[in-house]
Amino acid sequence: MPSGAVRLKREPAILLSPGLLFLLLAFFFPAVQLLAQSFLTFGAGPSHFTLEHYAKVIVDDFYAGVALRTFRLALIITALCLLMGFPLAVVINRAGPVLRTALIVLLILPLMTSVVIRTFGWLVILGPGGVLSWTLQQLGLIDRSISLMHTEAGIVIAMVQVLLPFLVLTTLGSLGQIPAALEEASRVMGAGFFRSIYHVTLPLSVPGLASGSLLVFALSISSFITPSLVGGVRLQVMAGSIYQQMTGSFDWGFGAALSVILLVITLMLIIPYMVVTSRAGGRA
Amino acid sequence: MKRSSILTSVIGAAALAALAHGAVAQETLTINSFGGDYEKIHRELVITPFEEMYNVKVEVVTAYSADTLAQLRAQKDNPQFDVVHFSGGLEHAAAAEGLLSPIEPGELTNYEHMYSFAVAGLDRGIGPTYSTAVIGILYNTEKISDAPTSWKDLTDAAYHDRVLLTDAASNTYGMLGFLMINQVAGGSLDDVEPGLEFVKGILPTSTVVSKSPEIQQNFAQGNAWIAPYAQDYAYTLTKAGLPVKFVQPEEGGVLAPITVNLVAGTGKRDLALKFIDFSIRAEASKGWAEALRYTPTNKNAELSDEVASQVVYGEEEVSKLVTFDAEKIAEKRPSWNEAWSRAIAQ
Repeated sequence: MPSGAVRLKREPAILLSPGLLFLLLAFFFPAVQLLAQSFLTFGAGPSHFTLEHYAKVIVDDFYAGVALRTFRLALIITALCLLMGFPLAVVINRAGPVLRTALIVLLILPLMTSVVIRTFGWLVILGPGGVLSWTLQQLGLIDRSISLMHTEAGIVIAMVQVLLPFLVLTTLGSLGQIPAALEEASRVMGAGFFRSIYHVTLPLSVPGLASGSLLVFALSISSFITPSLVGGVRLQVMAGSIYQQMTGSFDWGFGAALSVILLVITLMLIIPYMVVTSRAGGRA
Repeated sequence: MKRSSILTSVIGAAALAALAHGAVAQETLTINSFGGDYEKIHRELVITPFEEMYNVKVEVVTAYSADTLAQLRAQKDNPQFDVVHFSGGLEHAAAAEGLLSPIEPGELTNYEHMYSFAVAGLDRGIGPTYSTAVIGILYNTEKISDAPTSWKDLTDAAYHDRVLLTDAASNTYGMLGFLMINQVAGGSLDDVEPGLEFVKGILPTSTVVSKSPEIQQNFAQGNAWIAPYAQDYAYTLTKAGLPVKFVQPEEGGVLAPITVNLVAGTGKRDLALKFIDFSIRAEASKGWAEALRYTPTNKNAELSDEVASQVVYGEEEVSKLVTFDAEKIAEKRPSWNEAWSRAIAQ
């Protein structure tokens, strides 16, 4: 019925409009403004159009190095989260209710602590003369105290701690939808424990793994508090550079250009990834 | 029936009370402060007494100087602040952009009592300096028996792995310390290469931090024995139980003024001026020195001997401190930040 069809389209639109309006004002317009700012000069004198910010980022190897480090760390963090997160998700999925709750709470607890407190915790563990250093010394593996603070390894460890829950929880969502009968069937047919997981569970959990790893990647690319607190001021990541340009050097045009480049590269990596995984995983 | 009539009268009374309160609403002044201990002392010395004296409400926004400048810029056409405090010379950048209003000497009753440098620049929008920090060298008295005497002592092999530098790009005290090191190494505001070379030389055996609590952390853990930083911070560390002392190297300590400024376009100019006047009075100057060991800028601030020994006391002593051309700093800072970040990057 024509009138019924028209009414069906209007109602969703009305329900969506407050949310869309909010997104437009709070996200879309500032993002466009940032894009515009990246083409303007800031500082002494009136602003005028320029491409110098982009030229600087491309030509200057310092910022190329910072970008490279940012993406390299993000890839390592995502890979580690996948390696650790998938088995963890499988275990949680098969666990009884008590163990399951306990594991999930353990996983989420770091997210609930303030980032500053967490970082001080890492300082105690990874710092010079900290728990890690002491343990390794007691075991005789090293002879003088080491510190993982202010190192890339330290950044990776601290970031994996907070991003792992994102991957595990999205994968759990996927795993929960796999009928137990499928896995039981594969075991009955003679596949061992690991083969069963590899051939049955893993392919079916790709949607969850894909969205989880995308989330982890996007969050690690853009994070700067943990890298700056754990990594220190000598290990710059892109978000840290942007923050420094905006609030330290007050060169908003250059900071905006860095932000745009960060976004573009991220999109260039994410979009093919999304296409490939949606084909591989299909619809669960 | 009875219940609803009681309810109505209660609501009516509450509404009347709210209206009456609204009718005698106090005037509000919006300022910024730097949070933590500093803000606490700020309230004790200036904000609360001011509120009581003039029966107004002072709204305090906690924001460091850099964030405050960013906000002022964003609010240029409709400023939300009436009075802003800046440390680190950002008042020059703000005044140059027209964000601050000039003040007539006659508008401040305490004008004559101030050191001359503290009120220079009022006509350009640069507010009076109400206290100042002094940048020199902090050292651990237990680990280092002979006090360092020169900025060059930072390269001393005895301090290997124990030197703590503060990021010049994000921290003003760090920047001023770096400029001084640069000057001692033979550089100038136009050429920071000597300073960068000096820093690169000690970088492999030193730690770089960006926030002041990290300095305390590193001293407490024994990771750092010597650091270029501010005199008032030495007091903070001693209060925390650490055996740290401040020393002004022979080449001189650096003046780091903290200013209180009138925001351009504020609707409460008179009240703001009263606040600024109140901030620079002798009692406040004395209070800052006693509480946090900031150096006073009011001639009438009388300090006890103990406090006087831990600040730079007297106009003559203060005039011996090194100052750098603030206009040049404002102009060159972005390029310095980049050069510094590059020099320390791993």
